[in-house]
Parts: sequence; structure tokens; C-alpha cells
Amino acid sequence: MFARWVVDTAFFLHTCHPYQRTKIFFYNLLENQHYRYKKYFDLFMIGLIFLSVYILVSSVKHELPYSWLVFNNYVISLLFVLEYTLRFWVYSNNSKTIIEQYERDLFLHRPFSFLEAMKSIFKQKMEYVLSPTAIIDLLAIMPFFHEFRLLRIFILFRVLKLFRYAKSLRRLISILASKKFEIFTLIVFTLIMITVSSVLIYMMEANNPDSRINTLFDAVYWAVVTIFTVGYGDFVPVTHGGRIVAMMIIVSGIAVISFATSIVVSAFTEKLDEIKEEKLIDSVNALKRMYLVCGFSPLAHEVIRKLHKRHLPILVLEKDPQKVALARREGLLALAYDSASLHTYSLLKINFEHQVEAVILLHESDVANIYAGLTIRELTKIIPLYSVLHHLGNRKKFSLAGINHIVNTHELVGSMSRIIAHQPVAFEVIHALRSEQTSTIIDEIILDSTVSDRFYKLLNDPLFYQRFSVLGIFSTSTQLFHFNPNPERGIQPGDVAIVIANRNLIEEFRAKLHRRGKI
Amino acid sequence: MKHRCAAIFGYNEYSKQIVEQVKGSYHNIGIFVINDAEFLEAQNDGYSVEKFDLSDNWEDIEMRFDVNSLIVFCALNDDAENVFLTLSLRATFEKLFIITLAQDNESMMKMKSAGADKVMPILQIAANVIADILGKPIMTQVLHDVLYEDSDLTIMEMEIGENSPINGQYLHDIHFKRDFDLILLAIVDQEQGTTFSFASKGQNHHIDEGDILVLMGYKDKLQRLKEWNAGVSV
Repeated sequence: MFARWVVDTAFFLHTCHPYQRTKIFFYNLLENQHYRYKKYFDLFMIGLIFLSVYILVSSVKHELPYSWLVFNNYVISLLFVLEYTLRFWVYSNNSKTIIEQYERDLFLHRPFSFLEAMKSIFKQKMEYVLSPTAIIDLLAIMPFFHEFRLLRIFILFRVLKLFRYAKSLRRLISILASKKFEIFTLIVFTLIMITVSSVLIYMMEANNPDSRINTLFDAVYWAVVTIFTVGYGDFVPVTHGGRIVAMMIIVSGIAVISFATSIVVSAFTEKLDEIKEEKLIDSVNALKRMYLVCGFSPLAHEVIRKLHKRHLPILVLEKDPQKVALARREGLLALAYDSASLHTYSLLKINFEHQVEAVILLHESDVANIYAGLTIRELTKIIPLYSVLHHLGNRKKFSLAGINHIVNTHELVGSMSRIIAHQPVAFEVIHALRSEQTSTIIDEIILDSTVSDRFYKLLNDPLFYQRFSVLGIFSTSTQLFHFNPNPERGIQPGDVAIVIANRNLIEEFRAKLHRRGKI
Repeated sequence: MKHRCAAIFGYNEYSKQIVEQVKGSYHNIGIFVINDAEFLEAQNDGYSVEKFDLSDNWEDIEMRFDVNSLIVFCALNDDAENVFLTLSLRATFEKLFIITLAQDNESMMKMKSAGADKVMPILQIAANVIADILGKPIMTQVLHDVLYEDSDLTIMEMEIGENSPINGQYLHDIHFKRDFDLILLAIVDQEQGTTFSFASKGQNHHIDEGDILVLMGYKDKLQRLKEWNAGVSV
């Protein structure tokens, strides 16, 4: 009966949207590195930690107001208790575990094993409780029981909590963790050295009245101070035997220090590329809007150079590490990932709809471009896909893959050759206008019906008259181009003017068009 | 039209498109290839094709075409070969109109030094178009239709003749827009060499014989202006 009630509750919670939403919210806040508000939460907790330590340090020599102590012992501790409990809650999904156990038993035609489900839940929760960070969290709560004065020292455990909130500290731990074996060996070696040398020095010095090393603790203290090359000089061996031990331990101390240094340095060197990659991924995630260029071919290089004028960040995805290195040398944001793999986008956590303005496929093969295009189309149907087409025979395949704009260099050269052969000067003029090599450019101005009068009036303004050419107005609703338009046509919704003028004059026209008041 | 025949060097994807686009414009089109594979391919596609080598022997060209009305497209696969071909042709025919393909801007400079009249840098052309489609899609579409599609709206370059009514006038005295329904894009001043200035900048320009005007408009209106320029009363 009780088991039935547990299963029903589990199903209820599993399908209860407010419950799930709340849980997801707290999960994001506590654990999801990419959640927008997590950094504010982390900063708040870091602030609490520093405040707590400040109060502890101040209380050593000064009498603090009672309210401060209450704040430190109760308020901060309660917040930490709350955080610990929430982390405990979101660590695993109990209702899911119960449902899975229930369905498994149902499938195998056996009664629901309540105990089995509880065992799984207990195991999962214990996994959390025994994790190093959770232990630190628990110890940081201890000052709550401030009646035990010794427990006040646990406030310092709150500092260790910084590892949870500061990403760089977490990274340090993960780097050192990769050298677990070497660090373990070093610790064992050091412990053996300290044990052997402290026992030896004790044997040599303890019975000598001139020596200050009288107890085993003195000997261990001396060994530790010497092996780590500090050597305060408050305890010094006076016997020959003791000095020989000292010489041995000094030499091995150098070995310990150099071994430790080399472990840390090699760990960092090995992980350097990984760290750089992580930082690059972080900077990609921080981008609000960007162009995504797949493939770093010579054409991609040129396109990116042109796109830089648009002042929108560009992310390059290229499988070949050598090409990525080349792109990075050019100062581009490039990552060595396969643009045709779904795994890439989940790893980089690219939000196509919110982050990507357009995707440009510029691999050197049609197969690679289609494959990347299809992959991206699986993730988003909205984002426009642009691609270069290398073989005209593949055009249909590109359209089927959902690529919106296809550019074929052979066709372009063919069409241009006709113009260049017949009207070379006209071609040069158009080329110069489009490539924006001079101050006069050809540009688009988006219009709306509210600026109709103003648009035509401005054209007769002395500032623009005969200096500002309107080639025509393109209507996006009818897809018709109205060459040399007259004012009677007016402006319809969705109209775009194509103009030729000095770039600064175009900017001024845009500004005046939307400015209120008299022209 | 100044040029009546065309010689296209190389038979690859680029030259195929060039042939396709220009074949209606010239009476006599010859394709010249360097290897057997291209020779067979062009022959299979039904074109008159001849083999050539990169020596300076251009008798075949002289025999087959009137060099004064010949336009040459150098579209070999390799930039170095194109430079060599351009140099060789220029050394033999001083007034030949040579259009050469180049992979990038760097090769373009070499082609120009070798004597090509016009160079098409493939990478830059493609990059410009892709960047334009992204940033100015409507402008790109409109220009594409005007330049490459067979639309009524087109672009024309017109040389000012001695008897032209425009000869000797100032740019601001002529209202192309109002009187002809045309838009003047730019003007090439022969006195200042081949550099051009945009109409929107130089309204005080004095139009002289030999200047070239670049205009956009409907075909019939452009034709009207052309006739007027030639001295025919409109």
C-alpha cells in the first residue's frame, strides 16, 4: 500500500510542471555553467564567504557587535544549509529512479521492489554526500554550531568553497588531478623521507644535552622545515650523525621541490591546449550574434576579410588543425571541430536561433558542404545557409539539403566575362561600387510608408541634390524593382531603396530620414 | 560592337561558362587547348578546337582571326601558365584585348604587369558576391538582374563623340534623370587617364570628346540617348 503511494507520488512529481520547472531552475542556478544568472549567484556566494572570513578575522582581536556574529553564525550558515540541501535535491531525480524501477518490475511481471528503489536513491545521494565539494560544503556549515568554539575554525572551510564558484580554481584542480599518480608518488616519497629522517635525527640528537631536538615532534618539525628547504634555524643538529642526516635530507629536499615543480609544470603544459580551447569555447558562448563559417579555404579567407566590415564576430569551424592554426594566426576565432557533426554543436552549445546570423559553407568540396548543411538543418530550419558550389551538377542536391543561397564561381566568371568583354568600363564602375574601394558606394536603405514624404523631400535638399542617386526602389512584397522612381509612387511597406553616394552622405540621409522635425 | 571574334584559351569549368555566355555575341569563336583531354572534351561538346603550345608562334591565330577585332580570354588552369600566355600574346599583338582569369589578387597584379587589359580575380569576385548577398541581398539581386539577366533595365557605357551635343557641356547642365529617365553612374575622363569619377561627386565636370559615360536605364531610353549622342536629332 505504501509502495503504491510512493509510485503514485513519483508519477505525480514527474509530470508536475511547476515542480520540474523549479527543480530545473535550481539545477541551472547551482550547476549549469552556461546558465545566464549562475555567475551572479556565484558572485553572491563568494561575497558571503569573504564577509564570513572578514568577521572571523576581526573577531580575533576586537569585540564585534552581536548582530555581526548572529549574521555570521546563523544567516550565512543558514544560506549555506539551504544551498547544501538544494544541491542534495537536484543531484539526482528520485521520482525518475522510482518510476524506472517500477516499470522494470512491471515489464518483468514481478512486484514493485520498494527497497531496491530506495537503495538506488540512497546510493545516488551518498555519491553526492561523499563528494569532496559536498564535504567542504558540510564543513562550512559547521560554524552554525558556534557553541563548540573549536568549530569556529571551520569558517575557514568556507574559503575552500571558493573552488566551487571560481572557474579558474576548478580548472587548477582538474589540471592537478590529471597528475594524480605522480602527486601520490611524491607524497609517499616525502612521507618516507620525513619519517626516516625524523626518526634518525631523534635517535642522534634526543640524548644530547646541547641539542634542542628533544622530542619526536621536534624531530618531525625539523625534518619538515628542512626537507622543504625553509630551514628556520630554530632547531639545528649538533652531533656528527645528526649533521649527516641533515645533509641527506637537504639533498633529498631539493629533489622533492624539483619533482613537485616539474609535476605542476608538465600538468599545465599538457593541458595548455585544452585550456586555450576551453577559453575559446567560452568566448563563443559569450557571443550574442555571429556569422558561422564552416571550412577555412582560401575563399573563406577572402569572404571573412569582406565580412569584417560588417562588425559582426565570425566563428570558423574547420576540421584540419593546420588550417585552424593558420586562421588563428590571422587573428580569427577558429575551432578545430567538424562542422558536419551534431556533437560539435552540442559541445560548443551554439544556440543557432539566438546567436547565429547566417551560416556560410565554404569547404573545398561539395560533399563536405552538403553534409555540414544537412547537419545544421537538423538543428535549425530558420537560419539562412549560404554555400559555395564547386560543381554545377550538384546544384539540385544543395537545394534539397536546404541551402538557401548557392554561389558558383564558374557561373559568376562566365556571366562577368560577357559584361567585361562588352562593357569593360561599366564593369569596372560596378565592381568599384560594390567592393567599396572608394568613398562612393552602392547601398540599401530600408524604407517604410511613414517616411514617404520625407524621403522625396530630402532628395531635393541641397545637401543631397545631385549628390545622392536613387537607382530605384525594390518592393519586397511584389519583388519588382522601380527604376528612377517618381514621388507619386510614394513608399509602400517593405520597400528598399538602392542608392549610390558617398558613404558618409548615405549615413546622413539615413539619420535625417528617421529624424523628427523639419528638414 | 568592336570585337567580332573571340579566342578562348583552356577548356575547363570556367572556360565552358565563358563560351556559354559569349557564344551569341561573336561571329567566330575559337577554343585553344594545351592538352589532349581538354581537346577531346571540347570537340565532344561540339566546339571548333585547336591545340597550342606556349611558344611565341601565333600564326594560327593570325590566319584564323582578324586580330584587330579579336578578344582573348586566358582561362588556363594554372595562374603561371596564364601569365606566360598573356605575356606571349602581348609581345606579339600590341593592341589585342586580353581578359585573363587569376586565382587571387596577388596573381591579378602579375597578370596586369604581363599586359592583360582586364583581369578577373576569381576568389575576390566570389568573396564579394557572398559578402554582398549576406549584407546587401536586395542590391545584389537588383544588380544581378541588371547585369547578367536579359532584362529591359540595363547598363551602358557611351563614348562622347566629336559631334555629340553633350561635348563641351558641364555635367550639371545635363539632366539625364529628368530628360532621359536615365541615371548616370560614372564618367571616365580621357584627360585624366583611365580613372573614373562617380557622377555623384563631380557635378562640375566638363564633358569632352572621348569621355566615357556609364549609365543605367531601360534599353529604349539608352538607345535614344545613344542616337542623340551620335548627332541624330531625337
